[in-house]
Amino acid sequence: MVTIDWTLLSQYIISGVVIGLIYSLMAMGITFIYGIMRIINWSMGEFYMIGGYLQYIIITHFLGVENWYLGVLLSMVGVFLLGMVVQGLLIKPMFQGSVERRTEYATIVTISLGVLFTNVAVIGAGPFIYSPPGYYHGTRILTLPVSGTRFVAFIGTIVLLSLFYLFLKKTWWGRAFQGAAQNRMGIQTAGIDVFRLDQIAFGIGVALAAAAGALLAPEFYLHPRCGSIATMKGFEIIVIGGLGSIPGVLCAGLLLGLIESLGAVFLNPSFRDVYGFLFLLAILAIKPTGLFEERERVA
Amino acid sequence: MDLEKKTGTGRCELMGRKNNELLRTENLTKDFGKLRAVDNLSLSLEKGEIRGLIGPNGSGKTTVVNLITGVYRPTSGGVYFSGRRIDRLSPDNITHEGIMRTFQVARVFADMSVLENMLIPAFTQGTSRREARHRAEELLDFCLLGKLSNEPTRNLSGGQTMLLQIVRGFMRQPLKLYLLDEPFAGVHPAIKDVIINTIQKMNREEGVTFLIVSHELTTIRRLCSRISVLHGGGVISEGTMREVANDPRVIDSYLGG
Repeated sequence: MVTIDWTLLSQYIISGVVIGLIYSLMAMGITFIYGIMRIINWSMGEFYMIGGYLQYIIITHFLGVENWYLGVLLSMVGVFLLGMVVQGLLIKPMFQGSVERRTEYATIVTISLGVLFTNVAVIGAGPFIYSPPGYYHGTRILTLPVSGTRFVAFIGTIVLLSLFYLFLKKTWWGRAFQGAAQNRMGIQTAGIDVFRLDQIAFGIGVALAAAAGALLAPEFYLHPRCGSIATMKGFEIIVIGGLGSIPGVLCAGLLLGLIESLGAVFLNPSFRDVYGFLFLLAILAIKPTGLFEERERVA
Repeated sequence: MDLEKKTGTGRCELMGRKNNELLRTENLTKDFGKLRAVDNLSLSLEKGEIRGLIGPNGSGKTTVVNLITGVYRPTSGGVYFSGRRIDRLSPDNITHEGIMRTFQVARVFADMSVLENMLIPAFTQGTSRREARHRAEELLDFCLLGKLSNEPTRNLSGGQTMLLQIVRGFMRQPLKLYLLDEPFAGVHPAIKDVIINTIQKMNREEGVTFLIVSHELTTIRRLCSRISVLHGGGVISEGTMREVANDPRVIDSYLGG
């Protein structure tokens, strides 16, 4: 007879919830950009990486680790501006003209951009792994002893996702974004510049990735490819949750975290990532549009 | 006078009432590949009029609306609004000029409430939330949609959705020109009456000029003092309903001539 250690199980459940929610931040960025522009930004991992490096530079050279939260905000602002510039220079012109297959173009641009950023990081940071000091002392979430950084990242993610939700639901800009996601021509003929919305949405999306990078920097270390795991999880989450769906992101993020965590307990911890992918395959087989299918946008 | 010469190059002869002109298209042409959808169109609208734009299927009516509202760029020719050229502007900038439009398939925001839909056009015009909400509620009450203001828009009937799309346009202030593309198609007669009353009220009280594209000739006769008939992308006749109805070119065009 198998006996279950309930304390250990609850720790794994909480650990799954924590990591799942943090990965949701990344997925939220991907899905928000997709919701407005209908493009996938394949360079999200690199914006995550840039967010991490910015945070490292800000807190180790300027603000000090005690001001880590200001560092996260400044990293987000920096990456937001970078995203706006990149979108304005490389993607916006394709959307303004009558270029065909612009989503394919955006795919190539964002993949190339990822390669460029990675190589710039290789040149800038050299063959070293960096890690900012932890943000907070070790603590507990219910039964789970967690590292201070992971705790802070968890709380930071809840705050950022709540602010993002309030922004979407309670502000004029949020309404405009919702409108653009539902009916692009409708929002344009209502007098709103959709190309401006695209640019801001891209900036916000990559700033969310940067927040994940900055929050997790002490936990997962910084190197030029450090965003790849978070990107992979982000894409898993949006496929499971349904591309373009915000509730889907949250739900799928939590589910993915739980499944990986519980798989690690009951099966084998070495194949942690495989459980998430098996779950993804099961969802694709049962409900290919994801758990929360987004309604088709009117062009 | 210069204008009369220019409009004379189009297919229709405009009636020489230019002092009060709000919108003018000059030799407007739009090609889609080898297909010429709008052909050298010269059309003039006076401030405060309700103009009907009719014509057989495929005559270019919706393309004209798309050209005026910046959805399409003309192949040649120009669109002038209050004397200012607007055919190079984007749709949102054309909206800022005071021009709104509706679509045959209503472009509403299905996941928002009726009231939220109404508030969207107020976003970029600096109206306070309170003012915008007050006007939205007034308009919805007038159009008998007041009770549905918190209802998700996807729950409305087709006619109510069309009505909402039309009423939402009046949130733009000042609204100078409103282009309605098939506003009565598939709409219940009771809602049709509400739409007609709303158009007449806004024309009378706020001086909004309308260009209404429709196949419903009885409704167009009821609403519009002047009618332009489009065929093959150009205006073949213009005048009162009686005048255009007796024009042999119009009869030919509708009978496939």
